[in-house]
Amino acid sequence: MNDPFEMLGVERRFDLDLKVLEKTHRELSRALHPDRFVKAGASERRAVLEKAASVNEAWRTVRDPIARAEALFRLAGIEVGEDKEPKASPAFLMAVMDEREALSDARAAKDLVKVHAVGATMGKRASETEQKLTAGFAASRGDTAATQKLVPLLGELRFYKRFLDEVSAIEEEND
Amino acid sequence: MAYSDKVIEHAENPRNVGTLDKDDPNVGTGLVGAPACGDVMRLQIKVGDDGVIQDAKFKTFGCGSAIASSSLATEWIKGKKVEEAEAIRNVDIVNELNLPPVKIHCSVLAEDAIKSAIADYRAKQAAKRGAAE
Repeated sequence: MNDPFEMLGVERRFDLDLKVLEKTHRELSRALHPDRFVKAGASERRAVLEKAASVNEAWRTVRDPIARAEALFRLAGIEVGEDKEPKASPAFLMAVMDEREALSDARAAKDLVKVHAVGATMGKRASETEQKLTAGFAASRGDTAATQKLVPLLGELRFYKRFLDEVSAIEEEND
Repeated sequence: MAYSDKVIEHAENPRNVGTLDKDDPNVGTGLVGAPACGDVMRLQIKVGDDGVIQDAKFKTFGCGSAIASSSLATEWIKGKKVEEAEAIRNVDIVNELNLPPVKIHCSVLAEDAIKSAIADYRAKQAAKRGAAE
């Protein structure tokens, strides 16, 4: 696969300053804009177009914590995705299930204060997981076995994201 | 994504949604999740002294296919012996609901949930026998 970090000229790490990266992406996109290559030959124009598309793809990957983590695992030679990730621990699932039920009750009762509160709790846990990934990727650089141990954290992020998407959907329907 | 009629039917009218008392020694609770998509599923069985599943309840937070898979699973296992319920395979669910390849993991989750509930029930029964001796 393409290395989205290399594409954007940043270090391969989980914690990235997205504001800086957004600016980098914008500058790269501007530099690769077709208007700048009207006089270039057909093959160069095609190459520039392809590069611009790759830059956009790289930005979409690194801006999203889940896609960014997936990219870091793949670049470390670790396959992730369906069937390739370990099962979530029972304690973690129980905690998610409890919050799911609390959210579902709050939704049924149209208790938006509770919906926000549950969302905030899970949002905080998601940030904690992201911090663990930051520390983990930094510590395990180049060490496949150590990187492999971080895969469950990616699964946790997806459970949180699914949950937080649900919170947003409930908030929108009650707007 | 086009859902089959059976998936829509189960997702809109899920059977056996609810909770059984997880502290009841005759109740087995299975809790499973799909790390690839973030769905969570809880399936519970209540087993009689004759080894027949008298009741089954589930609660699934996930997509329509995950809800339909668990709903169908509870329907199927009710009235079956534990060993018969254990023999249900995810492909049976896939075939019944016409799940597309991208949704097969939902049926895997339901199979795991049944097995995990049975394992929990057996562990509780073993603990009960151990305490009685």
